[in-house]
Amino acid sequence: MKWRAFYILLLPYFASVLCTSTIDKSLVVTQVERKIDIASHLVKTYTSITIENKGSASVRSFLFVIDPTLQNKVSFIGAVTKDNKDDKLQVVPTTVTGHSDKQFWKVTLRSELSAGKSVTVEVEAVFAHALSAYPSQITQAEKQYVVFEGNLYFYSPYETATQKTIVTTASSTLESYTKTKPVSASDNVITYGPYENRPPFSEAQLRVHEENNSPFLTVTSMERIIEVSHWGNIAIEEHVDLRHSGATLKGPFSRFDYQRSQDGVSSIKSFKTILPASARDVYYRDEIGNISTSHMRELDDAVDVELRPRFPLFGGWKTRYFLGYNVPSYEYLFNKGDSYALKMRFVDHVYDDMVVDEAVVKVILPEGSKNIEVRTPFKVKREPDELHFTYLDTTGRPVVVMRKENLVEQHIQDFELHYTFQRMLLLQEPLLVVGAFYLLFLVVIIYVRLDFSITKDEAKESRLRVASLVEEVQSTQDRRSALYQSYDDAINRFKTTKDTAAFQASRKKVDADYKQLTTQVQNIYQQLKTEGTDIAEKVAELQRLDGQYKDQINLAITLAEKLVAGKASRQQYLDSEAGVNTKREDIYQKMEALRATL
Amino acid sequence: MWNPGGWKSLLTFIVLALAWLAGFSSRLFAVIRFESIIHEFDPWFNYRSTHYMVERGFYNFLNWFDERAWYPLGRIVGGTVYPGLMVTSGAIHWVLHALNIPLHIRDICVFLAPIFSGMTALAVYFFTKEIWSQGAGLFAACFIAIVPGYISRSVAGSYDNEGIAIFALMFTYYLWIKAVKTGQVYWGICTALSYFYMVSAWGGYVFIINLIPLHVFVLLLMGRFSQRIFTAYTSFYIVGLILSMQVPFVGFQPIRTSEHMAAAGVFALLNAYAFLRYMQTFLSKAEFRYFFILAVAIAAGAVFLAVVVLTWAGYIAPWSGRYYSLWDTGYAKIHIPIIASVSEHQPTTWVSFFFDLHILICAFPAGVWYCIKNINDERVFVVLYAIFASYFAGVMVRLMLTLTPVVCVLAAIAFSKTFEIYLKDDTPKSQQKNSEEGSESRNDRLYDKVGKTKKVKEDKPKEEEGLGMNIKSIIVIALLMMLMLFAVHCTWVTSSAYSSPSIVLASYGQGGSRTILDDFREAYYWLRQNTDDKARVMSWWDYGYQIAGMGNRTTLVDNNTWNNSHIALVGKAMSSNESAAYEIMRMLDVDYVLVIFGGVIGYSGDDINKFLWMVRIAEGEHPKDIRESDYFTPQGEFRVDSSGSSTLLNCLMYKLSYYRFGQLQLDFRSPAGFDRTRGVEIGNKNFDLTHLEEAYTTEHWLVRIYRVKDLSNRQMVIKPKKPVKRPKRKSSKKVKRAGTIKQKPKIIKGKKSTAKKSTK
Repeated sequence: MKWRAFYILLLPYFASVLCTSTIDKSLVVTQVERKIDIASHLVKTYTSITIENKGSASVRSFLFVIDPTLQNKVSFIGAVTKDNKDDKLQVVPTTVTGHSDKQFWKVTLRSELSAGKSVTVEVEAVFAHALSAYPSQITQAEKQYVVFEGNLYFYSPYETATQKTIVTTASSTLESYTKTKPVSASDNVITYGPYENRPPFSEAQLRVHEENNSPFLTVTSMERIIEVSHWGNIAIEEHVDLRHSGATLKGPFSRFDYQRSQDGVSSIKSFKTILPASARDVYYRDEIGNISTSHMRELDDAVDVELRPRFPLFGGWKTRYFLGYNVPSYEYLFNKGDSYALKMRFVDHVYDDMVVDEAVVKVILPEGSKNIEVRTPFKVKREPDELHFTYLDTTGRPVVVMRKENLVEQHIQDFELHYTFQRMLLLQEPLLVVGAFYLLFLVVIIYVRLDFSITKDEAKESRLRVASLVEEVQSTQDRRSALYQSYDDAINRFKTTKDTAAFQASRKKVDADYKQLTTQVQNIYQQLKTEGTDIAEKVAELQRLDGQYKDQINLAITLAEKLVAGKASRQQYLDSEAGVNTKREDIYQKMEALRATL
Repeated sequence: MWNPGGWKSLLTFIVLALAWLAGFSSRLFAVIRFESIIHEFDPWFNYRSTHYMVERGFYNFLNWFDERAWYPLGRIVGGTVYPGLMVTSGAIHWVLHALNIPLHIRDICVFLAPIFSGMTALAVYFFTKEIWSQGAGLFAACFIAIVPGYISRSVAGSYDNEGIAIFALMFTYYLWIKAVKTGQVYWGICTALSYFYMVSAWGGYVFIINLIPLHVFVLLLMGRFSQRIFTAYTSFYIVGLILSMQVPFVGFQPIRTSEHMAAAGVFALLNAYAFLRYMQTFLSKAEFRYFFILAVAIAAGAVFLAVVVLTWAGYIAPWSGRYYSLWDTGYAKIHIPIIASVSEHQPTTWVSFFFDLHILICAFPAGVWYCIKNINDERVFVVLYAIFASYFAGVMVRLMLTLTPVVCVLAAIAFSKTFEIYLKDDTPKSQQKNSEEGSESRNDRLYDKVGKTKKVKEDKPKEEEGLGMNIKSIIVIALLMMLMLFAVHCTWVTSSAYSSPSIVLASYGQGGSRTILDDFREAYYWLRQNTDDKARVMSWWDYGYQIAGMGNRTTLVDNNTWNNSHIALVGKAMSSNESAAYEIMRMLDVDYVLVIFGGVIGYSGDDINKFLWMVRIAEGEHPKDIRESDYFTPQGEFRVDSSGSSTLLNCLMYKLSYYRFGQLQLDFRSPAGFDRTRGVEIGNKNFDLTHLEEAYTTEHWLVRIYRVKDLSNRQMVIKPKKPVKRPKRKSSKKVKRAGTIKQKPKIIKGKKSTAKKSTK
């Protein structure tokens, strides 16, 4: 692990310093088996090279040359030894003096190849846009034919003893192919060779014209935005520009034919994108809204999204979409104290056999991340960092921007991003919200409590004062009414129990309360009078009525006392009590009416 | 401590907040069912220009010349829109981004109308509070929040001027009432500022500038002149006039068109009246009467003469066609087919009053009656508003929108009054102890119970009081039931009638499964991605804004129907035969033709159903070439089957709609070429196109796009064409308009730039 990271770090270093190599004449390629796969829209070659060191000194590396016809189309080169396929060998571009027109790659072996020994290395190379449509324009009903042009012989700086080439085509329908003997074709496989003893850099045309209706889909540009949140989520959004890079559609597009006979075989109706298994909240949309034609299937180890563009893609047609999802951060974000490491795929799967002409990866880190350090499995162009502002940001989030051209499926590899982040900063945003609300409430409180008017509005203030006083009067009056009730209760109890002492006690208590309330009202009355409103008159009236009411109560008490003392007969009492009650009722109603008009 | 005032304001606050919330959430059906995008046809232009403004800045927006519309004429957008809507959402966007809240402008546009409906509820609350009482205000706020008549134009995703204009309208009226009540310059100026916002937002501002002077005028007639009115109106009129002229689209209209003359006349009258009142203090009664008659005669004569002379001399534009159509419903049909072709400009049916307003329309006259019975200065205003809005709503469906707020206000007054009578506890006998609160505050507390029946029991007085009490509770319960039904109706109407987006169609299968027909966006996105950036698309004007907004391509005509002859030219191309149409299309540099065809899925709003309007509009400008009668069968029927007229069966629209449709058999019961919308087998099945070729047809054939081929003696061009600059040919047809109608009304820019779907 450590070593690997070391290599990755040194990779750009190798590329720039070890830029020239020499062809070691002591190496000889004893046997080559090439498999050229042109069944999809990519050209994939698997070359199994057996190298023998015929010199005296041991050798650490050898050179691999790309075919001249394909050398601008290389997307990926990787090499493993035959015995240990998991062990990827280091492959770096290099140049050789005197061969400036050729593209060399230097493959470093895991161990020295001592004299007389041989080793078998398998080199995998992927070329994008190496198949050209011929004819380049077809109608809707026609099938798509493509031409592959390559080198019949293994292109090598070393002498090649024996070689064999197997071309896998998309179908058995072959328009033409190079027939340099020995050659045999069966079904969708053409076998060339074996050819013996070819000198270095030997060339001959290999041309295959085949029917190929596989989706010629190219991602012309892709922007992948990874937004890391320390609250447990990583949001990923991909903006993808797609283009059908096969033979372009000539003439009309007929929906009728397309629906009836299902023609347009080279057109693309849908494709499948595989997302990480933990992907949630997947959305698929474009500039004008949601694209309603997609299906999602959750598997154990992945989430399959079947994306259907709004319209079928015919040759030359383009489309553009956004695909976004969330993943939990614990799967990708690791930390030790304040230092964090993000380990994610540089690009993710878009469709099988994908080609991405240009990819920009933007990683948005939390606000306050420092000491950012990127480690990538292959060479990428790192652009100047940007700042991104989103909810509650103050200083902005650092954005790491990386750019890489010409990517294929083999580039789905993890990159690492190391940075430090102080944990306390997590609290910054909640505190900001709390602070903002606190401030808001404070301002409202201050605004409500303080008087900001320029002029003093005497009338209004007086009105407010009066209103509050009136409210007080009303509440006092309510309590007073309640006291009357307790008078009644006391009298009733007295009548039944005939307990004079208890009655006197409760009466005294109620009297005290009553007196207190009455003086309270009196005080308010005085205040109201100073305000000089007519409400004061009403309060005075209220007081007067209350006095009357109180008199009636006193009368009732006297009556009750008389009754209990036996000084009055029952009938007498009832009569006079009825009289008192009607009077009380009358006064009470008056008081209530008055109270309501206050 | 018990503080009734505090509770009252808290309750008021809660009720208003709930009204806002209810209004906001009931407008979200379309967004929740589908997605957060602009759902309607027209608002795509508003969205596009908002987007432009947010990206390029306000001044660039004002100076924006849109070369993508009205090819080859172009359109000066800054001078032909009411910028209020764009500025509002742009300002919100700006504030949010200043606070680092990265909300996309699209979401702001989508949710602007629901948010403003809450503001409208507030404005209506204040308005009603000034007119009647706080309780009625709360009722009105709750009503306006959910009433379908207003929801119809303010659901989420319908980003239209009306969404914010109703708020501006009601707020202006509130401030005006306030100004009339207080007679302060402060409120007058506030009214003018709010009026300015309204002017910048919607062409309906004319309603304000006529209603307020009318109010003043009626007050004068009623002998209710006072210094307050004088102050309020003069300050409002002068400031409002100057401010309204700052909007580029309005410009000098306020002093040069007849629509605005009433306000100026009332201004003059008010000043003359005030002057007379002043003179009155110096003169004796007899002198004054003589002086009064003379002065009135002179003033009236002078004003009238001035208006007539100015109109005659051309300084004041006469009434525009749309205004005539307000007074004479048949006017538009005869003279301006393009106005009549919009379904929203049709007279309102009786049903739609009930549909849009439900119980409110029944309570509304009662409210008017209460206002008339207890008349004062500001209630005169409400009554006038009610009368005129009812009339206009009867003339045009679209103007139902201006009627809705006043109906809510007056119905609220009626309900409030009724509840006041039937809920007031007017039996303050000996059992007062259980009533702790003052009767006033208790009554107010009841006002928030719109549609909430659960608290009813509590309000019923506990003491049985005989028959009166029973009747009271029955009436109260009945009213509450009605209000509850109103709420149910509102939700139902909103959900089923006003929340189905027009750019996404949904069909429901037997098991309730939903299929989304997304053909419009499929086609527009195809245009956006796979045609040349400068390609010109010809379609009927209904789709112009969408093609520009979603397809980002140049259109010939769009929903801003400012140039009738250009639309007529497109109509002519659609209704001519292919070779005649080809000439027009070559002349107009058309690259693609887009038609909407519903025959496969049975979509009724397609171009064939709108076709007669195209013919009519084309006939208005080119009566020699296009005659409506040619498109009918001898029996006077419009039919596309084999008995249809041969002109129809060979015109471009027919051919583009039905190209290769004759071979398509939809199911086994019907013959090939069976049109589901019209329910007939089409008449002309096997034909080929010579000058056009199919470029794209969507999955359900809803949108069909054709490519206009180049002249045939050249090499065929397969790729989408690069724009070829050709010397513009002069068309003799276009210049000569031998058969135009007399008094052809001029469509004044500024009158209602948008128009909805054409009639089905």
